[in-house]
Amino acid sequence: MRYKSQRIAREYLLAALMLFLLQVVFGILNIAKYIWGYDPLLNVIPFNVSRAIHINLLVFWLLLALMGATYYMVADELKTEIYSAKLGRLQLGILLLSGVAAIVGYLFQWNFGMPFLEQPTVIKLAIVVAALIFLANIGLTMFKNHHTLTRMTATLLGGMVMLAVMFLFGIPFMDNLSTQYYYWWWVIHLWVEGAWELIAASLVGWALIKVTGVSRRRIEGWVFAEVCLVLLTGIIGTGHHYYWIGTPHYWLWWGAIFSAAEPIPILMMLVDTVRHMLGARTLRSVNTLGLAWLGASAFVHFMGAGVWGFGQTLPQINRWTHGTQITASHGHFAFWGAYGMLAIALMYVILPELSGRDTEHGGKVGFTAFVSLNFSMIFMVMALLIAGIIQVYFQRVMGMEYLQVQSYMRMWYAVVLVAGSIFFVGTVLVLSDLLRLSRPIRTAEHVSEPEPETVPGD
Amino acid sequence: MLWTHKILWIATLVSAFAFLGMTVDSLHRMSASTHADQLSAQVIEGKRVWQHYDCNDCHTILGIGAYYAPDVTKSYSQRGAPWLRKFLENPAAMYPSGRQMPNFHLSSAQIDSLVAYLGWVSRIDTNGWPPSPEGVTPAEDAQRAAGGELAGSKIYLAQGCNACHTIQGSGGTIAPDLTHVGSRRNKSWILAQINDPRRINAQSVMPSFAQLPESAKQQLVDYLDSLK
Ligand code: HEC
Ligand code: HEC
Ligand code: HEM
Ligand code: HEM
Ligand SMILES: [Fe+2]
Repeated sequence: MRYKSQRIAREYLLAALMLFLLQVVFGILNIAKYIWGYDPLLNVIPFNVSRAIHINLLVFWLLLALMGATYYMVADELKTEIYSAKLGRLQLGILLLSGVAAIVGYLFQWNFGMPFLEQPTVIKLAIVVAALIFLANIGLTMFKNHHTLTRMTATLLGGMVMLAVMFLFGIPFMDNLSTQYYYWWWVIHLWVEGAWELIAASLVGWALIKVTGVSRRRIEGWVFAEVCLVLLTGIIGTGHHYYWIGTPHYWLWWGAIFSAAEPIPILMMLVDTVRHMLGARTLRSVNTLGLAWLGASAFVHFMGAGVWGFGQTLPQINRWTHGTQITASHGHFAFWGAYGMLAIALMYVILPELSGRDTEHGGKVGFTAFVSLNFSMIFMVMALLIAGIIQVYFQRVMGMEYLQVQSYMRMWYAVVLVAGSIFFVGTVLVLSDLLRLSRPIRTAEHVSEPEPETVPGD
Repeated sequence: MLWTHKILWIATLVSAFAFLGMTVDSLHRMSASTHADQLSAQVIEGKRVWQHYDCNDCHTILGIGAYYAPDVTKSYSQRGAPWLRKFLENPAAMYPSGRQMPNFHLSSAQIDSLVAYLGWVSRIDTNGWPPSPEGVTPAEDAQRAAGGELAGSKIYLAQGCNACHTIQGSGGTIAPDLTHVGSRRNKSWILAQINDPRRINAQSVMPSFAQLPESAKQQLVDYLDSLK
């Protein structure tokens, strides 16, 4: 660590980790409700509430991780303090309060009622305020140092601005359900297949320079091309959600053609990452786990988003698979590979740098966490995929009743529960490993005067 | 900037503007394909109730949402308004076993607006989604085997009799298996059971279907009677 204000990254990342653990707990609750028809919590935490909490926590911890990493990266790239560390903490406080209020609210039917965007409007406005503080803080840091601005940080800022702007389309209530969903996808799709990809690409680029020592020029050219291609395919690619929701028929063409090209930039990112990682072999000291998570993330990103997404993006297939467990399989695989694993990779890069701890050999706990998390997730999405295929065949093709078919899928839900339990163990392991790595060691060059420990996220 | 980068950048901007143009055109056409003129105050209120109770985090609608409960896009056209009303008053009365929907104790005004809303949703032009199945359900299969018309088995499924009853191994388990009901009950007995399940067993969990049109009841009776 070189700049004191970079320490806020640690608070963001640790808060993110706690929420990740909580998200997984609710994931297990969700699948338990799938398996056992009789639900003792039916009138306390029914499935819709536990699902809302699961997916809200997901988005929440990923955003906290990406924003924390952004604070760290911008200071590192521009070689400066962040404009205001205080504002950074204020922003974190607002976000955590909003999150707690939202989750408690869901238990009392205080709910906007659109998936992922369940937060009541007041809370959404608080989130907008936090986003504005964030953009101002990062924007002013960049403005004050515009002579050292890099392409990578500019792309990152672009992604963050796009993220904030798209969120606005999720706020109003619209009378027409089809219109509501038209704009809902501007948040959901244009986030994960647009804004977040820009953010991820620039953070990956920056992290690769750090852990592999590859030259900036080589990385920056690629990142720019990838980011353009993401938007070129992904914006009109939104059309793969406009096949069946009351939208015009021409989207069956436009959505299919453009979204089918979406895996291309994702494949480029994979090839690029692998190339640079091979270059790291010549380094004397390597952040093994940071590198492992980065590389694995590029691969699972491609599988989960590129391959699983492509598999159901053509209307001839999507007509049958739309809104089944196949979608859930893809949702888990893609979110985990593209953003969950990336967030953990960034933690492995940033937290030890902040604390000054050695990352050379990784350690047993870290590797066990890496293996158990990734294998159990693959296990889980395979089970969901099989459940989804059973569902499509018996329900959509044969025309059997929904609930009848669910009973045929029960065994695969049980597999998800087993895999999910292993995943939970992995989460605890990765949490403890990262907590260990984030504990500061006090030496001469680390100016970390004692400070009240913040334990955010509970 | 490299010339390839310039081209990419320009193409990206063009695609963003094309997307905005298509959005304007889509929204314009969607007022016809969704029958926006039929968005009455009651329908809109129904959407508010739907969102207030976060129904979408159990159900999909237009195929979007959670996968824990059946898609409701076509519930209105499949089940009809009376069935939906009865179900929403007390979900457990219609589906007593298996995965449960909570009873939200909705007011009758809320139920009316939800039903109006689901009716409006069922008329949205969805480009042919959900696809019509290519297979034959056990209930239809049973009727074909009995040489009858399909109408009766369709009503049997649409009214959700299979939530409790089983035919040829398919359906719920809390009520008698109806695979051979025709060999133990006659037509008038079956009709009486449909109209007033409580006449024999005062505690019967089977809801009355007296509200169905006479012709539908007759087709249902013919169908069940054919299952020997
Ligand atoms: C906790 C999850 C859950 C919530 C929340 C929920 N439902 Fe359900 N719903 C179900 C399940 C499960 C079924 C399947 C039948 C059963 O077991 O009751 C169902 C069945 C239905 C059906 C019958 C569908 C058909 O065609 O067979 C309708 C209509 C319906 N729900 C409407 C609603 C409405 C309206 C709301 C919000 C006020 C709602 N549901 C909230 C779980 C839920
Ligand atoms: C909520 C569960 C439920 C639903 C829905 C239901 N039933 Fe029943 N039904 C029962 C139960 C339980 C019995 C056993 C007798 C009793 O308790 O009334 C029964 C008995 C019957 C019987 C007599 C069977 C016998 O051999 O004695 C017939 C016929 C019948 N139901 C037809 C239907 C039809 C037709 C429908 C749909 C229109 C239907 N049921 C819907 C629960 C249900
Ligand atoms: C990182 C990238 C991605 C993430 C995180 C992601 C995540 C998701 C999620 C969560 C859903 C479900 C949304 C809902 O609740 O209905 C979804 C749906 C979908 N995704 Fe992705 N996705 C990504 C990339 C892609 C790509 C690249 C493609 C295509 C090539 C794709 C194709 C689809 C399709 C077609 C659906 C709709 C499925 C349906 O009809 O039910 N996704 N995605
Ligand atoms: C123990 C681990 C987990 C289990 C058992 C689990 C289970 C579930 C279940 C049952 C659902 C509800 C599906 C539905 O809509 O009906 C769900 C939704 C979802 N979960 Fe998880 N989950 C786990 C971890 C995760 C992780 C780590 C991520 C992301 C990194 C994630 C991302 C999602 C997403 C995106 C959805 C919405 C899916 C969609 O709409 O298609 N989950 N999860
Ligand atoms: Fe998408």
